Amino acid sequence: MSDTAERVKKVVAETLKIDASMINDGSKFVEDLGAESIQSVELVAAFEEEFDIEMDEQGALGVKDVGTAVAFIEKHL
Amino acid sequence: MGFTSRFIDQAKARSGSVVLPEGTDVRIIQAARQIKDEGIADPILLGPAEEIQAVAAQDGVSLDGIRMIDPKTSDKLEDYTQGYAQNRELSPNVARRMVKRSLFYGGMMVASGDASTMVAGVAHATATVIQAGALTVGYAPGIQTASSFFLMVIPEFQGQRDKPFIYADCAVNIAPTPPELADIALASHASGEKLLGEPARTALLSFSTRGSASHEHIDKVTEALAIVKQRGAGLDIDGELQADAAIIPAVGAKKVMQPGPVVGNANVLIFPDLDAGNIAYKLTQYMANAQAIGPFLQGFAKPISDLSRGASAQDVVATTSICIAMT
Repeated sequence: MSDTAERVKKVVAETLKIDASMINDGSKFVEDLGAESIQSVELVAAFEEEFDIEMDEQGALGVKDVGTAVAFIEKHL
Repeated sequence: MGFTSRFIDQAKARSGSVVLPEGTDVRIIQAARQIKDEGIADPILLGPAEEIQAVAAQDGVSLDGIRMIDPKTSDKLEDYTQGYAQNRELSPNVARRMVKRSLFYGGMMVASGDASTMVAGVAHATATVIQAGALTVGYAPGIQTASSFFLMVIPEFQGQRDKPFIYADCAVNIAPTPPELADIALASHASGEKLLGEPARTALLSFSTRGSASHEHIDKVTEALAIVKQRGAGLDIDGELQADAAIIPAVGAKKVMQPGPVVGNANVLIFPDLDAGNIAYKLTQYMANAQAIGPFLQGFAKPISDLSRGASAQDVVATTSICIAMT
């Protein structure tokens, strides 16, 4: 498992205030992890902070699960 | 403008302010000029000053007397960051990244009372404006769903000229659950009280009138009505009603044994889903030659509104007037 994936899971756990053990690579933020759909932008901001990147808003709208978040972030690193 | 001119007069009397997060869009700059010149509100443009000034200069629009704030360098950034971090239980660093986004900075201005309302959407999706509103200003007490309404003005209705109705939800919630439909009804009733110029009388519409048919679609409406009655006891909200029983007194009197104040006299119409609401407003607009003003967002603790991406400067001015009138 990549370091990026581990860091993404840590950020998701902190932002959604859930246990990191609940999160796997395919976890969907809303359906599987109980996020409100309006929280997606806060997850994006938390990823930006963790990885010190800027994610464009349009692209970030497509980030709905751990896997797409990892792929999206790795393109920016 | 017609019916909307009354809101311009109401807005002028309020001395409110509007934050416009898409401050580098020429339509927004033109609207801000008009809003300022006509005394509708104190407009605040968000964005880098040099970019706003360049767009304004190219279009020949004066920015005299119009405030400009760049969220990224604002001296309020840390205040709003602390407020956002506290409300949302986020780290200050993540909260700061949120508040640097213009929609969220604008939302925090409204939340903190530094602006009366926010009008945005020429460069953002409706879902993004709703997200910003929900996470900054939050929902009105007892409401957990953002929704939308149109103010429909019918040129001639049952002998009345320029008869206004609220139609909801015609733009946001595709298939609302009973609790969501209840939220839509309560928020629309509140919008109606502020905008119709007469007491709101709200009907939850269906293809059934008080049990005249049975189907799970009707159950959804009656469940929503039961929630409304719990949360909004004493309000003139009734259902389930067919559209004719809701708005025509003679039909309502025939179909309903104990009509009450809403039956036959409803002026806020709640549709069971987006199919019905969207179809109804467009049919009314074109078949009755009605003025369709909106859509406006509702359900937030303070008024925040969305604009179509194709909105004109005049649309921005009209939307601002109505948002200020709702404060």
